[in-house]
Amino acid sequence: MDTDTRIGSGDGRFPETRHSAIAAARSGTPADRAVAHESIVAAYWKPVYKYIRIKWKSSNEDAKDLTQGFFLRALEKDFFDGYRPEKGTFRTYLRVCLDAFLANERQASQRLKRGGGTILLPLDFTTAEGELQQIEIAQDDSPDRFFAREWTRSIFENALLALREECAAQGKQIHYDLFERYDLAASDARATYASLAAEFGLSSVTVNNYLASVRRGFRRIVIRILRELTSSEEEFRSEARALLGAEL
Amino acid sequence: MNKVVYGLLLGAVLGAFDGMTAWFTPAVRDQMMGIVIGSTFKGLVVGVCSGYFARKVNSLPLGILFGLVMGLFFAYLVAAMPDPSGKHYYFEIMLPGSIVGAIVGFATQRFQPATQRVAH
Amino acid sequence: MEWLSNNVLKHLREVSEMPDLPGVRYRLGEVLGRGGMGVVYRAHDLELQRDVALKVLAIGDTDSERMQREAQVLARIEHPGIVPVHDVGTLEDGRVFYTMKLVRGSRLDEYCRQPHPVPDLLRLFQRICEPIAFAHSQGIVHRDLKPANIMVGQFGEVLVLDWGVARVLSEPEPDGEVIGTQNYMSPEQSAGLNTDIDARSDVYAMGCILQGLVQKPAKPLRSIARKATAPERDRRYSSTVELADDIGRYLDGLPVSAHPESILDRARRLLSNNRTLVALILAYLMMRILLFWFART
Repeated sequence: MDTDTRIGSGDGRFPETRHSAIAAARSGTPADRAVAHESIVAAYWKPVYKYIRIKWKSSNEDAKDLTQGFFLRALEKDFFDGYRPEKGTFRTYLRVCLDAFLANERQASQRLKRGGGTILLPLDFTTAEGELQQIEIAQDDSPDRFFAREWTRSIFENALLALREECAAQGKQIHYDLFERYDLAASDARATYASLAAEFGLSSVTVNNYLASVRRGFRRIVIRILRELTSSEEEFRSEARALLGAEL
Repeated sequence: MNKVVYGLLLGAVLGAFDGMTAWFTPAVRDQMMGIVIGSTFKGLVVGVCSGYFARKVNSLPLGILFGLVMGLFFAYLVAAMPDPSGKHYYFEIMLPGSIVGAIVGFATQRFQPATQRVAH
Repeated sequence: MEWLSNNVLKHLREVSEMPDLPGVRYRLGEVLGRGGMGVVYRAHDLELQRDVALKVLAIGDTDSERMQREAQVLARIEHPGIVPVHDVGTLEDGRVFYTMKLVRGSRLDEYCRQPHPVPDLLRLFQRICEPIAFAHSQGIVHRDLKPANIMVGQFGEVLVLDWGVARVLSEPEPDGEVIGTQNYMSPEQSAGLNTDIDARSDVYAMGCILQGLVQKPAKPLRSIARKATAPERDRRYSSTVELADDIGRYLDGLPVSAHPESILDRARRLLSNNRTLVALILAYLMMRILLFWFART
């Protein structure tokens, strides 16, 4: 049963601060498209790799080749040109393309002909494989849910990398360290504000303020990445809800 | 009309009706007048008691129980008086009498005096 | 960087949309719920030393005007069944927030998961109709009535929430935009005919709620729900007051306007309303018949 309030057409007033990589991948100049493609790969390669490993039950080596193959094919064949924002989110479209690609590959068994085994994109599969060993996979995880969660993880990881760089550049290392100790710690190992204050030689109020400021930065970066990865206001809203609102 | 007057009237009417059913028993048909008067009086007393009880206690089950006990008690008093042949009709008088009492008890509990009805 | 476990991921999602509260008088607590438009947190008012509910736009939502409007609409309709707004403001990150009374209780859909006697549910339904009727009298149509937007307090009191998409009848609104929740939306809402929306649109939603409230409704109740959810507005109850009155008549064992009674229906209703009396009269008659039968034999 649909229990969510539906509000017709989007009428967003948030400033669009960043150009959409999705729009550029579909219609920009070749140089724009290459940059856009890079952004898409950065956000999606890990979810794609993990999805192939877990949901298509491929071996480590096969999954590496297929991930490379998928993104290269997307670039060569302009897969992303076919995306129509009015029909759904880019994330869903990409997963549908991926499923079709994998089904094709499996059927034709042409993986080796494509020159399998050669690393073409600089992707850190060792880390991704290591992460896979730690993933808690629920029995009832649908492909959609699995892909969405890994996509969230990938976006947050990218946002955290950007946040760390930003904090370092602005001389806010202590802010980031606090954030890492508090917000990136496992819930059972999370320190209290008071203990962090004692450890860092700050007052609890300052810890609170520093954390709020880093969280604000993190939120800003997540929104920026989401803007890049969506092509319309409506898609942005829907993905923001999926990223931040739905249950994991 | 208050609950006591209502109980009195209803008890009297139902008592009279109960008495009149004696007509179906040919053996006592010649004593109809006495039976109807006695039964009416019994119903009237039970009605007054039930009405008074309903004024004090607001409970349907208790009202029915009270009417039943009163009906049974007064019917016993009537049944305890032998007919000219010296025969006692305990069952024939007490059983219906108790149910009539229960009906009066029920009705007095349900009855809402006019002022209360407006307030409600 | 360390790998983000599901737990950390969940925590990050929560902190990403947490409102920044420095500069305002509230200290943030846990998430109480998420609506179509925003997230509701428990917050502590540091000045008045009391807990309040703080609603803030969800991070992906951009419609701060709608949120502000909700606060204004709520401020216009003061009723015990409508949560009062305490404060409206803007957070440092630009998101609009407002605080309201913290409601303790459970949502109607959660409340209904426990078994409740039908008359109790119907009386509850009548109480839900009251604040809605009041809002209608102020020219405001809720437009998104559903069990998730109704809270039942510890003592059976009801509160109608989420007035974010309410239609202020005095303000013109163009057709086209579809607002509401599927399964509770009147046909005029589904068709985006916003100029056609009036109290009867809420009557429709209340009819849908009634259908969900009572699992196996009696015939008159079914007729009441059917009348409330009639596709044509003119065939519905003209107000929630009329709807509540019909429910009241059903509860009192009286005929309801939505259900023309046959003689059989009427007899059945009278019988079921006077079960004790009928049982006593039958007991009397049985007794009499048995006594005559014994006397003859």
